[in-house]
Amino acid sequence: MGDNDDYYDGDGTMESLATSPEVTYNWVDITSDFFKHIQDLQLGELLHDGHLFGLFEAMSAIEMMDPKMDAGMLCNRGNPKPLNFQQAVAAGKLKIDDLDPSELIGIIDATKACIVSWLEGHSLAQTVFTNLYLHQPHNITNKTLKAYCIAIYKLLDCIRDCINKAQVFEEEDFQPMGYGYRLGSNPQTGNTYDANLEVTEQKCIAMLREQEEELNKKARSGEDEANILWSALAARIRFTRMFYQALLLITKRDSQSGVDCVALLNGCTEMMKVIIKTAGKGTQPVENSDSPNPMGFEPMINQRLLPPTFPRYTRIKPRAEALQYFDELVTRLRHAWKITSCTNFHTALDFFMEFSRQRACILSRSALQLLYLSPSPATTASMAQSAMNGPVGQPRPQHAFVEILRESVKSFVNPPALTAKSPVLSTPQAREFVENFLARCVRPFAVLLQVCGHNRARQRDKLALLLDEFAALQEEAESVDAVLSGAAGTGPRACFGTWILYHVLRVMIAYLLSGLELELYSVHEYHYIFWYLYEFLYGWLVSALGRAETLAGEGAKCRDAKRAGAKKQKKRTRPYAREGLMCQVMQNMCGGYYKALVAFKLQGKIRQPQSEFDNEAVRYKHRFAPLSVLTPPQVHYHEFCEMTQPLQYENPVILYLGGCKHFQQARSLLETITTPDQEVSDLLKVAKTNFVVLKLLAGGHKRDSTTPPEFDFSAHRHFPIIKLV
Amino acid sequence: MESPEDLTKDVEVEDGKTKLRKWLNMNFRIEMTDGRVLIGVFLCTDRDANVILGACSEYLKGSEGEAEEPRVLGLVMVPGRHIVSIQIDDTTPPQKYYYDE
Repeated sequence: MGDNDDYYDGDGTMESLATSPEVTYNWVDITSDFFKHIQDLQLGELLHDGHLFGLFEAMSAIEMMDPKMDAGMLCNRGNPKPLNFQQAVAAGKLKIDDLDPSELIGIIDATKACIVSWLEGHSLAQTVFTNLYLHQPHNITNKTLKAYCIAIYKLLDCIRDCINKAQVFEEEDFQPMGYGYRLGSNPQTGNTYDANLEVTEQKCIAMLREQEEELNKKARSGEDEANILWSALAARIRFTRMFYQALLLITKRDSQSGVDCVALLNGCTEMMKVIIKTAGKGTQPVENSDSPNPMGFEPMINQRLLPPTFPRYTRIKPRAEALQYFDELVTRLRHAWKITSCTNFHTALDFFMEFSRQRACILSRSALQLLYLSPSPATTASMAQSAMNGPVGQPRPQHAFVEILRESVKSFVNPPALTAKSPVLSTPQAREFVENFLARCVRPFAVLLQVCGHNRARQRDKLALLLDEFAALQEEAESVDAVLSGAAGTGPRACFGTWILYHVLRVMIAYLLSGLELELYSVHEYHYIFWYLYEFLYGWLVSALGRAETLAGEGAKCRDAKRAGAKKQKKRTRPYAREGLMCQVMQNMCGGYYKALVAFKLQGKIRQPQSEFDNEAVRYKHRFAPLSVLTPPQVHYHEFCEMTQPLQYENPVILYLGGCKHFQQARSLLETITTPDQEVSDLLKVAKTNFVVLKLLAGGHKRDSTTPPEFDFSAHRHFPIIKLV
Repeated sequence: MESPEDLTKDVEVEDGKTKLRKWLNMNFRIEMTDGRVLIGVFLCTDRDANVILGACSEYLKGSEGEAEEPRVLGLVMVPGRHIVSIQIDDTTPPQKYYYDE
């Protein structure tokens, strides 16, 4: 766009403005009249066409010459107009041949910094496409740079494809707009399309490979100093190729190519070591300059492509940080790859949640989505939705995710209805019920995975919405259970219901906890948040897990009984032992906080809002509103008041001791875990510290102080360390 | 083109306000202190010459008088202190600018 050379050379008068030839103007100067006439207006009086335009409309105008609103202002800071590719080449400011290896390294590393800035949510036009070489990659004579630039086009396209497929980004995460740069198969800009310039994936990879060999040859033939430069350059080209290939594999899930994604990513890590070590070998950005490299980058080149209200000027990430980011990105992708060996939905969901906790970048979050479900959970969810809306009686498209869910139910509660030769399934009606139910589960569960991919702040609202869908599933699960129990002639066994309940509880807990992580609650609200978690949610989760174990055991027993004698009593391991234990830990932690908070309140240590400005019942209702699903029933404010009433007359010392006991209990439970991970050791630290603090408080320490205690979330995102100041 | 309340006024004593009112909904070309030129429909002003233009386009004027593709800005407010000159287009009949909700 920017380098179309059909600029109209005006003859100095505005009548001949080239943009819309049919419009001609006849400008008459009214400057002095205008400034004279406005004297007749009163201070603050607006002169406008009252019917069509008022103050309200006036408020939405962009203020010119305000650096925050006026993106065009920056183009005009007295800087000369930025040169485009051809102009820069003609002016001798852009070398397209005979580049030194250090110049090439500089350009490549600066481009990486631009890509990182793009991945952090800036626009493509203000980041990667400030690189002039990318405007006309086919006109570059230097073969290495040409191959690199073409590969960058392909890489950008692949990244965008990956992120678009996963659909886990919001405007603050990623800008998918291309601003007229034709990404993908035909690296060029503007409206002209030249099929000769088409570059396929294979060709792109081959070009990079060729350059790699070429550069390695040079590295072997030169002297020591030159050696290092050439091999540093070779490492960069090799990284680009392997990174591109790995991303292609992740995005396209093309398993035929015979290349191993893990090997590629390992190679990328190796190359990143060399790249970071040799970062100083390339040309470095001029100090105090906005350009990421002395040659090849024009930060302002695309400023005129931006929409009117486009904010800010984008600062490109510093090079050292950008290389670090790439290194970590490769590590994150390698970690995400591990999802491919999670066969069980249960472990996969845990993996998704754990991955999200590390606040991974948008590309690795998207990659994880694609690696687990092809094409992606987002697509699976929307396909399931359209299948549901389709005509009744039409056979449902069999989806791999249905099988994953079926396995999940089977391993969780082992319902007789999912056992292969079950007599229950002999009735077609029962079979239909089960299949319908599983098909209906696809969307909510796929959305659950998708939600885990979103950034932490966005997850909360999405979890609340998801609870509505789960509520509908609960109803369905109950009727399926009823039908199946009837068909089997057994007592009521809530297999499917338990499975759904377990997930509903997990979503509820995640929803409440996210409010702590996002610092949405005031300290004076903490007590009922922790109360709800302690008194109900974790307790229910423990019993749901217990029920699942019993049901699964019964299912196994039924089968064993039939195969009497054969392979007697394979000792069932308790698959959810650790999870159940962690639930108890959390429940105790919450109990500890709850009791401590009530005691603080009784001792006047917590600032309460003035009653005329606050209504606890309204706050409570608002905080727990999304939890109003079918089962478990929501605990209402009046119930909360009734249940916590006795505590109002309790001696604070007793409460502190009670809290102490909870933290002590949490601690000893945590210490039984033989293979503690980071989460466990963080929790252990919090539990130990809070135990000591509450012990001191029970002993009368700072009894008369009304200074509010501090809640320090630095050790754990949900469970704070209580600090007395 | 005049609104009803204008008609009731005495046409003889044309004060500044009436003159300004006649220019409403006509094309303005405003040059700003940084050299940029804005062309848009005159919608509103006040005593400090803050001008609101609708459907506004921004032109960069190069030193050789070379004109460039405009950038569409939409509704803008130009602070009076940044206005260098104002020109009005007397070819086109004033068109109503409808604000899109």
